[in-house]
Amino acid sequence: MPTVAVTPAVGLGFSGSAHAEGDLSRLFERWQRRKDERAREELVLRFVPLARSLARRYGRSSEPFEDLLQVASLGLLKAIDRYDAGLGHPFQSYAVPTILGEMRRYFRDSGWAIHVPRGAQERALKVRDAQERISNETGRPPTVNQLAEYLEIDAEEVIDALQAIRAYETVSLDAPRGGGDEDVVAFGDTIGHEDERYELVELDATVSGALQHLPARERLVLQLRFVEDLTQTEIAERVGISQMQVSRLLRRSLEQLRALTDAPGQAR
Amino acid sequence: MAETPNVRLRLSNRAENVLLVRQALSGLAEAVGLDPVALNDVSTAVTEAANNVVLHAYGGEEGPLEVELTRTATGLSAVVRDRGSGIPPEVDAGEHLSGGIGLPVIQALSSDVEFRDLPGGGTEVTMEFDAACSVELQEMAADDGAELEAIDHSAAGDVTMMTVGPTSVARGVVPRVLSSLAARAYFTTDRISDTQLLADALVAETDGSVSASHLSVDVSVAPRHLEIRIGPLQAGRADALFGSAAMEGLGPVLERLTDGHAVSAAGTSAEMLDLHLAQKS
Repeated sequence: MPTVAVTPAVGLGFSGSAHAEGDLSRLFERWQRRKDERAREELVLRFVPLARSLARRYGRSSEPFEDLLQVASLGLLKAIDRYDAGLGHPFQSYAVPTILGEMRRYFRDSGWAIHVPRGAQERALKVRDAQERISNETGRPPTVNQLAEYLEIDAEEVIDALQAIRAYETVSLDAPRGGGDEDVVAFGDTIGHEDERYELVELDATVSGALQHLPARERLVLQLRFVEDLTQTEIAERVGISQMQVSRLLRRSLEQLRALTDAPGQAR
Repeated sequence: MAETPNVRLRLSNRAENVLLVRQALSGLAEAVGLDPVALNDVSTAVTEAANNVVLHAYGGEEGPLEVELTRTATGLSAVVRDRGSGIPPEVDAGEHLSGGIGLPVIQALSSDVEFRDLPGGGTEVTMEFDAACSVELQEMAADDGAELEAIDHSAAGDVTMMTVGPTSVARGVVPRVLSSLAARAYFTTDRISDTQLLADALVAETDGSVSASHLSVDVSVAPRHLEIRIGPLQAGRADALFGSAAMEGLGPVLERLTDGHAVSAAGTSAEMLDLHLAQKS
């Protein structure tokens, strides 16, 4: 990671008002012609807010922000070195593509595309845990805004996390509860309450058609939701799993049912 | 001939709607197999253009924000349009929150950008992005849905109109947009999940039963309520969707996920399905 001295941004000083233009070209001249380090520092100071603003825009889903700000600042230094004031374009029109180019290259070269899913998964786990904690404390599942406030992140980040939770394979997020998701016997063991074993048997008696092809837990969750009309939270309490697990089980099993009923001969 | 957009959004220029644009873009990216770095480029540029409409197009008033997203031969294209006073981003340099860097950002991240003044007022920004997409989309018939109507947001309230096609794109886009709107309507997480399940079911069940090339989804949001109009379905299809036969052994799945529905005719051979979702207190 390249290190650049980054001074905290104050305001949006990069927009370059007219009276500062002459001043600015003097600074560039002092740095580029006479290698005056103080002029360079002054330029960095002036345009770090631009780098910061671009890092925030380009890296809205990237973590940690400070890393990306370092990359953007490196791009700024390159722009300060290479800008040709003689061409008559404002510095900003040269600096923006240079800084963005630096960040794009960093994303490509650092395997950001691979790391992002991991970062997103960590956030998804935080959202899941917060969801359970708030549900337990208040007796009611939270809204997105409540989760955002609780975790001090954007509502959009919560929405992305909910989307991710929905998309992940059950194993990755359910790991603490042990694997064997497809394993009906293991599920029976985790229930542990005689009542619920009963429930399973009772509901099984009514099972017909494509439903027979699903694992017992998925059948149970489907039937509690769609036959008994319980909410996902009520099902979570009854079965002893989280609401988000209920959500994923429902999604997966509805998908499987659709696939089964779309393939005649298999299910009927 | 221009390609038919895969996603069209008719929104108001409220700041929170930029999120819907990004969610729709993520859904399209998923459907076409766009890599995350390229998606980040496109999303950053489109966000700049949309923010420009939010901040500058209507001088503080509310007005339309229109977005079209299309898979092209070389990547993606995005159109962001307003119907306002038509101030290009560079005019506002330094005077607004965007700091006048919106346009250079768009220029740096897209392979081509064009601004066009619209007859009757407004500005259209067309951005082209060269990006490898790993999934080919199913060929679509030219859009027979014609132009989406303009919405009078001052009269209609918080309304989102969208057309999306083909089904593989709808599968990525519709659940994302609907769950974002459910979040806006103060739905709790379990009800948001229901909304996603409903969206999945609707996209799956309407595959092949839509009487146009694009699925049209209109949503109006009020606190604790979503009203969704989806179609055009082939006549008679909506009732079949709600019949218990739709999901063997489970009874009326769609009925459980919703809090009321109605069917209205749309021409002679098609119909629209209206769905009501509520968040109980």
